[in-house]
Amino acid sequence: MFLVVLCVVFIQCQVNIYSAFYSFIPVSNDTRDLLLATVSEDSTASQIHQSVSALSALGLPLASQEVVSALKALHVLIIILALLTASRLSQQAELGDILEEIEDLAARLDDLGGVYLQFEEGLEATALFVSAAYSLSDHVDMEPPLKEDQVIQLVNSIFSKKSWDSLSEAFSVASAAASLSNNHFHVPVIVSAQGPAAVSHSHPFLRLQVTDVLCQPLSSASVLAESASAVSSKSAVLSQALFTLRDGVFELNFMASQPASGYYQFSVAIAGDSRFVANHVELKVKVSTRVAINNMDLSVVDKDQSIGPKTTRVEYPTKAKASFMADGHQNFAMTFQLVDETTGVELTPHQTFVRLHNQKTGQEVVFVAEPDSKNLYKFELDTAERKTEFDSISGTYALYLMVGDATLENPILWNVADVVLKFLDEEAPGTIQAKTLYVPKPEIPHLFREPEKKPPTAVSNTFTALVLSPFLLLLILWFKLGANISNFTLSPSTILFHIGHAATLGLMYVYWTHLNMFQTLKYLAIIGSLTFLAGNRMLAQKAVKRYTHQ
Amino acid sequence: MSNSVFSVISRFVEEYRSSTPNKLKMIDAYLLYILLTGVFQFLYCVLVGTFPFNSFLSGFISCVGSFILAVCLRIQINPQNKRDFQTVSPERAFADFLFAHTILHLVVVNFVG
Repeated sequence: MFLVVLCVVFIQCQVNIYSAFYSFIPVSNDTRDLLLATVSEDSTASQIHQSVSALSALGLPLASQEVVSALKALHVLIIILALLTASRLSQQAELGDILEEIEDLAARLDDLGGVYLQFEEGLEATALFVSAAYSLSDHVDMEPPLKEDQVIQLVNSIFSKKSWDSLSEAFSVASAAASLSNNHFHVPVIVSAQGPAAVSHSHPFLRLQVTDVLCQPLSSASVLAESASAVSSKSAVLSQALFTLRDGVFELNFMASQPASGYYQFSVAIAGDSRFVANHVELKVKVSTRVAINNMDLSVVDKDQSIGPKTTRVEYPTKAKASFMADGHQNFAMTFQLVDETTGVELTPHQTFVRLHNQKTGQEVVFVAEPDSKNLYKFELDTAERKTEFDSISGTYALYLMVGDATLENPILWNVADVVLKFLDEEAPGTIQAKTLYVPKPEIPHLFREPEKKPPTAVSNTFTALVLSPFLLLLILWFKLGANISNFTLSPSTILFHIGHAATLGLMYVYWTHLNMFQTLKYLAIIGSLTFLAGNRMLAQKAVKRYTHQ
Repeated sequence: MSNSVFSVISRFVEEYRSSTPNKLKMIDAYLLYILLTGVFQFLYCVLVGTFPFNSFLSGFISCVGSFILAVCLRIQINPQNKRDFQTVSPERAFADFLFAHTILHLVVVNFVG
């Protein structure tokens, strides 16, 4: 490092001397790279100045933007170092101007999405700034000009990384943590639940860890649950309940207020020290419970209601002894209630499925059981209606009830009974195929456009003859009227005109069969101009003849 | 009633035969030919179907166009209309007829497909 400094100084002096005498100085690539490397954020201001002046005197290109950002980073670091130094000086010294620098520097912090607040120079500068600001403020006993949400955002930025690039960065974070835990003005409070934020009858206590930034428990705090309300119904369950401290953890017996199962939104306030910052938190707590199935009644109901239903009651977790038979004339029905085991309150869990499993073929069909307005679950199976799901395969199906929810501690899979379903035999497929979803599908061949139906050739030929027949009529009429070519003069223009005219008609035919418009227009231009000139002359001669005869 | 219609028609035919110059009669024959051709094409379309519709259209438009151009020629050639066509000699009318026909046939052949 010292050698680098020496090199740069030497180069700069040399350059200045040489530039006075010579206009061109040869520079090796190594020298240039050395000079460019010096312009980085780790250099001192004098190093940057020397290398930049050497580069510009040598006429080498500079990265001006890099130099500017290096100088700006220097500025922030200098102020922070000034703050740290000032915090060790005697209190009689005039530190007011330096104290104002805290506010100026705080204004340069970047707000990222309202969550993070940091310098664009990086984590190290932000963390060092925090520890410098608080140590100087403690030293002069004046509150730093940082607002509560700014402190929260600074905490978010500084402690967002879990591993650091360098020892100096790690040191800056540790020093910021120490100053945030131990200063006279602002102490951010971290509240987290111990384990999952969930209570149940077996675990009725909600446990919270309340610590400072260094994870030291704040024993002097008093934690109060200001309100707890159910997320679904927004009704308040708890108000102004105090947490008790036990073994460094704050706990509250939430189950004592007998909440129904579900999610609750807690609003917790931590008091006890005027320095506490971020001492109002929102927490989501889950209350779980155990479910019990009551009044499981299975019955086979005749469709035309002529025979009364036979209801069998089954107790969980036993299975019904007799199997139930249902064919096209009967419906199979199941009703039950789901209640909270301890309180007996009716529950509506997220998943209540009825699964029918054919043990022989491995088929399984799943239906949803829906609750009615009185929270009584009903399931009805109409064999005729549902035959497509079963592929009309008759046989014995094992009936399972599946109950599950995030707030249930005991999800249930219960083989309730066996059901024999009879479908009309002629609809059953010959072989039972496993549903193949991921095999290549049959290829779709491309269908070329079918040519349109044409009328028979005889009809077309007849009509062609019919359409051409008036031409014969025309010739006959002209003959009868006495059309003749007796005035035909054999002058060159006449002959040329007639040849040209015939050529035009021939060109039309060739256009129809072979050519396109552009070629035709080209030929037409040639033939047409010849015909025009010849025709013009011929008609002029005819006109002259007509005038002389008149 | 029919009697008067019949007498009007026979009178008209008599006048036509006697007073129309031969040239005009020839053009009238040509007009009749074009008319019949167009009628037969239309008949085909009505009876059998419009399968190559573009062909039918081009044929029919050719007939219609030719009819119109021939009528124009007849009007311009007719010596009784000489007052209206001072600048147009019969030769000029015929030349115009030929030129317009060239363009018409170019379009028709393009469209017949």
